[in-house]
Amino acid sequence: MSAAAESASIPEIGVRFLRSVRSAVDGGADPVTAAEAASADLPKSLRDAIERMARRLRGEYHEDEWGFDEEFAEAAYPFFELLYDQWWRVEAEGAGNVPAHGRAMLVANHAGALFPFDASMITGAIMKEHPLPRWPRFMVLDWAFSLPFLSAFMRKVGGVPASPHNATRILEDDGLMMVFPEGVKGTGKPFADRYRLQRFGRGGFVEVALRTRSPIVPIAVVGSEEIYPKIADSSLLARAIGAPYAPITPTFPWLGLLGLIPLPSKWRIEFCEPIDVGHLGPDAADDRQLVFEISEQVRETIQQKLYENLVKRGSAFI
Amino acid sequence: MASGRRILIAGIGTHWGTELALRLEREPAVEQVLGIDTTPPLAALERTEFLEADIRSPLLARLVPATEADTLVHAGILWYPEPGKPKRVLHDVNVIGTLQLLAACERSPSLERVVVRGSAAIYGCEPTGPSFFTESMAADFPLRTRFQRDIGELEGYFSNFARRHAHLTCCMLRYQPEIGPGLDAPIARYLSLPVVPTQLGFDPRLQLLHAEDATGALLAATLAPIRGPVNVAPSGSISLSRALRLIDRPQMPLPHPLFGPALAQLGDRLGAGSLYGDAVRLLRYGRGVDNRRLREELGYEPKFDAVGAIRDFAAADHGMRLVSMPGIGSVLDRLAGTVR
Repeated sequence: MSAAAESASIPEIGVRFLRSVRSAVDGGADPVTAAEAASADLPKSLRDAIERMARRLRGEYHEDEWGFDEEFAEAAYPFFELLYDQWWRVEAEGAGNVPAHGRAMLVANHAGALFPFDASMITGAIMKEHPLPRWPRFMVLDWAFSLPFLSAFMRKVGGVPASPHNATRILEDDGLMMVFPEGVKGTGKPFADRYRLQRFGRGGFVEVALRTRSPIVPIAVVGSEEIYPKIADSSLLARAIGAPYAPITPTFPWLGLLGLIPLPSKWRIEFCEPIDVGHLGPDAADDRQLVFEISEQVRETIQQKLYENLVKRGSAFI
Repeated sequence: MASGRRILIAGIGTHWGTELALRLEREPAVEQVLGIDTTPPLAALERTEFLEADIRSPLLARLVPATEADTLVHAGILWYPEPGKPKRVLHDVNVIGTLQLLAACERSPSLERVVVRGSAAIYGCEPTGPSFFTESMAADFPLRTRFQRDIGELEGYFSNFARRHAHLTCCMLRYQPEIGPGLDAPIARYLSLPVVPTQLGFDPRLQLLHAEDATGALLAATLAPIRGPVNVAPSGSISLSRALRLIDRPQMPLPHPLFGPALAQLGDRLGAGSLYGDAVRLLRYGRGVDNRRLREELGYEPKFDAVGAIRDFAAADHGMRLVSMPGIGSVLDRLAGTVR
C-alpha cells in the first residue's frame, strides 16, 4: 500500500487521504484521530514536511545569535534560485576564491535602486558554484531594519544592520561577511552612472578586515544595474517616508506593485583573488594612508572586473 | 580587613535585594549583611539586619557610615512600579535616591566597593547599529524613554563618583530584563497572556536573563566587583516569535502604532501592567548586548543562554491559556505520526 502511495500523483494521494478520513469519521471517530489514521498512508516526503511544520510551530528550530534561521533561508532559497537561473540567467566565475572555511570579507559593488538583489545573487552563486558552500552574512542598510516585515525577513536570511561592530563580531566568529562599501551611494545613483563605482566610504571595511586579519574577496556584479533603471529621484517622497532616496524607474511608481518586478537583465558575477591583509597586523588599521590604499586597490579591482564582465556579457537583456 | 565582609544592600525590599541577602547569608566570608529599604525584605532573613529608611531621605548620610560596611550594593533601582512604589515615585527613587546614596558613600571611610544594579536600557532599543552592544557603546544613541533618561542620569552620577573616588571599586551592572519561573515581572506576565499581542511585521531579538543568573551575577559582582560597567545578559539571543512558540502562546499581531496604546489599555486588565520603560521599543526592535566582560572579567558564566531561559520559563509556565483551542502543532504532530 505504501509503495503504491509513493508512486501516486498528488491529487490521487489527496483523494485517497480524504476518502479514508471520511470513512473513519462515518465510523464514529473524531476528525483528528481519523486524519491521524489516514496519514499513515501518506508518502514519506509529505509526512516529513508535516513533521517539520509541526516542529517549527513548537519553536524547535535553530536560530543563531543574529536571528539567522537556516531552515527559513533554505525555504526561501528556491525563489531566489528561480531568479538566479531563469530570470537573470546568472553566470558566476571564481566562486572557489571564497575561502571554504575561516573568516573572509566579501566586498562587492552595490546596485538596484528599489531593492538591491545583489546580496541574494552572490549568496546564490556561493551556494550553487562553491564546492563547500556556506551561508554568508550581508550588511543591510540600517533603514531597512526599522521597517516591518522587511526587517524580520532580512534577519532570518542572514542580513545584519550595517555597523563595523557587527562585521567585526561575525568575522571574529570565522564567518563570511558581505559588505557593500558604496552603500546608498551605489544603489541611489542614476542609471546614466551605471557601473561607475562610487566612493568607498571612509574605508571602514578595510579597518575591520585589518583588525580581524580577514582576507578581502572583491566581487564584481554585472547586471544588477539594469533591474531597476533609476531615471529620476523624488526627494519629496523620500522625505515623506523617511527613506534615504525614492527612485523613479520606467515602471515604478507608474505601474504600482507591478513596477516592483525587476527587469530581466543578464547577470555575471566574478569573485576575484582574495587580498590577504593578515600579515599587516591589526595595528595597521590605525594607518589611514594604508587603509585608503587598500580601499582604493579593492575599488580598482572591482571597477576593472566590472568593465571586463560588461564586455563578456554583451547585450544587457538578451 | 581582619574579620569577614560587611555588606550593605540598598533596596533590600525588592526581589533582587532579598535574593542577594539570602545568598550572602550562605557565604562564609560574609560577616554581616545589612539592608536598607522602606519595605521589609520579601523573605525571612536570619542574619540580616534590616534598617527601615528611605534612600531619598537625608538621614542616609548618617546611617550609611554608621553601618561600617565595606561593600554597598544598590539593588533598589526600579524598572516598573512595584507594590509600595507607584509610578510617580520611580524617577525619585531611581535618580534622587541613587544620588543621596552616593553622597552618603562619600562619608563612609570603611567603604571599599560600590555595586549598582542598573539596566541595559541605557543602550536603547535601536533597529540600526550594533546587534551586540559592548560596555563602551552606552552613548551611541539618544535616550528616548523616561526610564532610559533616568538610567542615563544615574549612570552619569555614578561614573563621576567613580572618577572622584579612585580608591573605590565602582561597578555598574547593566541588566537585560529578567525572566524566570516564579518571577513576577511585567515581561513575564506579558509572555503569559493567553493570546500575546505583538507588533505586525516585527520580530525582535531578545535576551531575557534567567532569574537565577540575575542573582548569581549580582552575587559574583558583590563578592568580587570589577571597575566600570558590565553587561549582565545571557549568551545568544532568541526572536520573540520563537519564544512565543516555545512558551506555546499564539500571537496576535497588531499594527505597531496601535501596540503601545493597546497594551496600555489591555495590560492593566490582563495583569501585564503597562510595560513600563522601554518595553514597547524592546518588543519592536529588540536589544542584544555582549556579555564577554561578564564571563571573562567578572568570571560569571550564565547557566542559561537566551533560549535556555525561555525553555525554563515555558517548563514552569502556569499562566492562562486557551485550553479549548487545539494546537495546530499537536494536530500536525499526530498527522506526521511522531506522537504514538
